[in-house]
Amino acid sequence: MTAEEQALTSGNTASDDVSAAPVGEVTAALAAAMDHTTGTGTPILEATGVSMVFGGLTALRDVSFALHEGEVIGLIGPNGAGKTTLFNCLTGLYAPTSGTVALRGEPLPQDPARVTEAGIARTFQNIRLFPSMTASENVLVGRHVRMRQGPLSSLLHGPRFRRSEAEAAERTEKLLAFVGLTRFSDELARNLPYGDQRRLEIARALATEPSVLLLDEPTAGMNAQETEATRQLIFAIRDLGVSVVVIEHDTKFIFTLCDRVLVLVQGEMLVEGTPDEVRGDPRVVEAYLGAPPEEVEAQIHGSER
Amino acid sequence: MTTTPSPDTTSPAEPLSPPPPAGRLAALAPRVTLLRVAGGALAVIGALLPWATFVLNEGPYPEKSTLQFFVAPLAVTGFRLHLVVLGLATIVVSLVPAVPAKGRIVRALGWGIIAIAVLNGAYIAVEGGGVGAITAAGGSVAFGSLVALAGGVLAVLGATAAGLEPVPTWTWRLPTWAEWLLLVVVYILLLLVVAAVLTSGGQGGVVNPYAGAVFLSTLGAVGGALGALHASGLLGWVGVVSERHRVYSVIVLLAVALALPLTGAGTEYWMTVAANIGVYAATAIGLNIVVGLAGLLDLGYVAFLGIGAFVAANLSGAAASQVGIELPFPVVMVISAVIAGIFGAIVGSPTLRVRGDYLAIVTLAFGEIFVRSAQNNIGGLTGGANAIPNIPPVSVLGTSFADPITVGPIQLPSGVLYYVLIVLLVAAVMLVFGNLKNSRLGRAWIAIREDEDAARAMGIRTGPIKILAFLIGAMLAGLAGAFFAHKTAVVAYDSFRFLESVTLLAAVILGGMGTIPGAVLGASILFVLPEKLREFSDYRLLLFGIALILIMRFRPQGLVPDRHRRAELAADAPGAPPPLPATAPVQTAAAGGGS
Repeated sequence: MTAEEQALTSGNTASDDVSAAPVGEVTAALAAAMDHTTGTGTPILEATGVSMVFGGLTALRDVSFALHEGEVIGLIGPNGAGKTTLFNCLTGLYAPTSGTVALRGEPLPQDPARVTEAGIARTFQNIRLFPSMTASENVLVGRHVRMRQGPLSSLLHGPRFRRSEAEAAERTEKLLAFVGLTRFSDELARNLPYGDQRRLEIARALATEPSVLLLDEPTAGMNAQETEATRQLIFAIRDLGVSVVVIEHDTKFIFTLCDRVLVLVQGEMLVEGTPDEVRGDPRVVEAYLGAPPEEVEAQIHGSER
Repeated sequence: MTTTPSPDTTSPAEPLSPPPPAGRLAALAPRVTLLRVAGGALAVIGALLPWATFVLNEGPYPEKSTLQFFVAPLAVTGFRLHLVVLGLATIVVSLVPAVPAKGRIVRALGWGIIAIAVLNGAYIAVEGGGVGAITAAGGSVAFGSLVALAGGVLAVLGATAAGLEPVPTWTWRLPTWAEWLLLVVVYILLLLVVAAVLTSGGQGGVVNPYAGAVFLSTLGAVGGALGALHASGLLGWVGVVSERHRVYSVIVLLAVALALPLTGAGTEYWMTVAANIGVYAATAIGLNIVVGLAGLLDLGYVAFLGIGAFVAANLSGAAASQVGIELPFPVVMVISAVIAGIFGAIVGSPTLRVRGDYLAIVTLAFGEIFVRSAQNNIGGLTGGANAIPNIPPVSVLGTSFADPITVGPIQLPSGVLYYVLIVLLVAAVMLVFGNLKNSRLGRAWIAIREDEDAARAMGIRTGPIKILAFLIGAMLAGLAGAFFAHKTAVVAYDSFRFLESVTLLAAVILGGMGTIPGAVLGASILFVLPEKLREFSDYRLLLFGIALILIMRFRPQGLVPDRHRRAELAADAPGAPPPLPATAPVQTAAAGGGS
């Protein structure tokens, strides 16, 4: 299935699966609010020759890739391949030892907060919500960078304050509806079921109005049903005009979700291509998926092929 | 506002979600009503019996404790009256079928009875030199305290044996005028209770050797009564009503607070005590921004109060001040706040690099630097060991704040104007805290407290925001310091030692992190207790420390917890959401245990 076909089909399925709320409407409203120029061709995020060295350990070696608008890219590789390190380079948490990362042609600032401001949002491999805040407060924190509210305004609660709070509350409500968590909006984040915590993290990231969303293992620990719901959610996010990079171990998930897949092995970009290309590539099969069972068996038993 | 989350102070030993009673306790279940009534009856009987076998050396124990039964059985006052009231309430609640949540109410009353019996009994025994003082000695018997204690224990046993009901939630709605009237009545009652607790036992020290015992006993009785009201769901209901008329409630509460001088607390001494409480309450609220909201442990916070006080002292025109100018008090307040704020930002700047324990050490060091500098009269600004004395009182339009004033026919004591000023100041500080907490900035602070890295990933520039927390907290302390300098007329380095910082921190944690009533309540308790417990001077800090440990053990969320913390720590809270569906993580290992 091509990316275009997926885009056409995904909108409706998302509204069925992701939540009981009228996601179609919400999606349209959010898409209008996010105001991204949807087009393809121009890379929105581009990494060029990124290397990352910790002491004697080379975590990333000369990694380059480009993310185009409206694209979903998958990042796979065995444990320790440097996927999360690459994410940290893309979010300003690490400064690459060499190489550059550019967002819309501008070099990335070396501060996570300013990277978020520039339009890259992320979730974490280990869920990192604000546990003692409610679901809606978590999302409100995500609105931080987009709220026009200085300290004085925070102190005096004037008309401008009320306007910005009302706007943020409205957006929060829509985002919670979008990910299907409306019923939990006043619940503490720590009390949410596991899968919903992951969704809440995504809603919080979306509240920063990103043009690029980085998801670090969004389906880790989920059952098949929850994984499918997450896939539909990611499609819906893509339809908002947000480009997405997904790290995931579940290759089936990645191959049915992404327009392109990057394979990272021992800090190096091994293969880059469409899911079909990557799936068929023998190097990937060997490096990432391991040798096919019959081959392994054959080696073990020493019999000729 | 103060009534909203009612502290269930009387039941510290109860686990947060009560398990069904097991073993021997369950065997008592069929006879709970009997037990409860017997407990109440014993409390009443205990109140009517003599409590001390002989007259103590320090003077007769209060409330005619050596009184013999039938000499004047109705002449019960003070703690004996409290016991009678709690005991009768226990009996009535147990027997009237319509009362909901009987077990909870009786448990609270029972703990109140136990507190009164133990405190007074222990005090008489210690002062009297042995258990003979409260049992039998020299031919006279005095089993009052033991009988009352037995009554309290029976009541608590009877209350818990059948398992505890949930706190009922009332949804009554009255006409608006009736609710307004109700709130006025409730707040006036609150004022009277506060005044009664504050003045109970009178001034401590030589004047009244039993002040501490009387005060603590009153506190126990009030705690028991409040706990019972909370258990009945009435306090929660009043809280909901006051929330419905929020602005009105705030105005009435402010008016009621300003009316304290008209009650029994309207003497110069109590006005001074109240003003001191106000200073520490305002400071504790400032500290609450740094510790409660932003989660930055500050162990040297009282230094900012000191900086504010010394700045105000130097600008007051006092003879010992270096700067020989006298500025109007409002200007002095602003300057004190600004200078304290600047120091706050300086102390806060290491927070960019230092976290957690290390930050605590940095702030601790700052507090020490301040005290030592002040002790050594740095720049001649602090007067060193001589302090800066004779700071003139604040005066407006020729009226000195230190003088008594007369409004029409009412004579108000000296210091009443200071009291009014500090009430307004605390109200302003509360407003600052409340507004900031519910804003973009407040949410950013809480997010930093919860997970600093995640907060940064959400676009929060943690550095400036943390420094802002220190700056605003320090400014509030500086304001309070300016008031403090003029009120006490003497500013000495001695008032700003490490111990004061710790006490402030304890006030914040004891009251409940991140809440306004918590900080005020914590500050009140921690700064009234030393006044009242003067006769324990040697053991004061020891008792204080033990009390803190006990409270932290049995009520870690503080006396008036944040609504979020309450939800975290109390599964059986009223209005708690139903337990969530158990869609537990399928492979928690893959999630790395969350965060």
